[in-house]
Amino acid sequence: MRDSYSKFEAHGIKLYAISYDDEKTLREFADAQSIPYPLLSDIDSEVIENYGILNTEVSKDDAFLHGIPFPGAYVTDANGVVVAKFFHDTYKKRDSAETFIDAAVGNIHQHADAPSAEGGQPELKITAFVHGGSGSIRQGIIRKLVVRFDLADGLHIYSRPVPDGMVATELKVSGPVGFIAQEIVWPKPQLLDTEFTDKDLYVWSGTTDIVIPFYADGDLVSETRPLDVEEINIELSIRYQACTSTECLLPRTETLHLTLNTDVIDVPKLKMHLGHGQRESQYDSTPALRRLIWRKAKQNPLGLPKFVWKSIKLEWAARRRGA
Amino acid sequence: MTVERDEFGFDAPAPLGHPGRAGLPAGHTTGPNVGERLPDFELPDANGRTVRFHEDRADCKTVLLFYRSAVW
Repeated sequence: MRDSYSKFEAHGIKLYAISYDDEKTLREFADAQSIPYPLLSDIDSEVIENYGILNTEVSKDDAFLHGIPFPGAYVTDANGVVVAKFFHDTYKKRDSAETFIDAAVGNIHQHADAPSAEGGQPELKITAFVHGGSGSIRQGIIRKLVVRFDLADGLHIYSRPVPDGMVATELKVSGPVGFIAQEIVWPKPQLLDTEFTDKDLYVWSGTTDIVIPFYADGDLVSETRPLDVEEINIELSIRYQACTSTECLLPRTETLHLTLNTDVIDVPKLKMHLGHGQRESQYDSTPALRRLIWRKAKQNPLGLPKFVWKSIKLEWAARRRGA
Repeated sequence: MTVERDEFGFDAPAPLGHPGRAGLPAGHTTGPNVGERLPDFELPDANGRTVRFHEDRADCKTVLLFYRSAVW
């Protein structure tokens, strides 16, 4: 978020981040990490609870962990009305800042430094580019592979379903083990105005962005071991047929290749670390952790020993599984 | 702490079942929905300034992020 903050500003988008940390912690964190946007302190998790996103899987007896939200984000319009929201089944999956900006602005900006590849034919340009952060691949951080068709006036490509003999647009992406491509996000197609057929045909024309969200899992990039490889290659196969209202070009299949850098996060040398950690380790949160443990222990004195005992038992169970 | 890989394929330096790894259960609601106005609130920022959400964002498009902690 921090590295992309200038993009929020450029689009006139405000950004706020809420956690249950105390103000002092947030001040130290913001200073050490040069966080330029407001970090809000919901110390008793009242807003988190009021929003209905308190992590109910964490019990009151889980000591200082109690009070955290299911992490996620809301994107609003100028009236404060939600236009998109982003929550995932696991806290390890996180969206890139650019995904929030796209949702607020309503379109996708290609950044010059992102990996890209080009294909197509006269009057039909295809650009495939990686969108999100620097385009690097990290464990659980969701980037987008954007396949952009720039179609000359009068040309269109087809969405499913199409009658026999015509070709609907198809995309396939493959990468190494641990490269996880999510479901393709197709833009809304338009009903084609034609007298050729009485069947309804749905098409895309002009600039059309098709999005494949992706991330790496622990097979490819882990936050608990150094990088195995510096970069990966992904292959994108694109099948389509372009037509005007009077004639069709031959169907084509094109294959594009992109190279992505892998990226690992330095985690602070803390015994207690379960998240992605801080991007850099300049921030020593040990005093803040002590303060947090003490604050929660005062509210529920038995929580801490119960939590310690539970952690020990979980640790034993993990060793028995041979982890 | 022991490193274990979860059912999503992610590694973390904590045993499976640790509450710090607890995810969003299937079917659990995630607060205000698309089309609803975010509930207003008042919270202090890192410098002790009180932020009244809707007043502070001053008719700007906004991203409101909930994260777990800056500490751990």
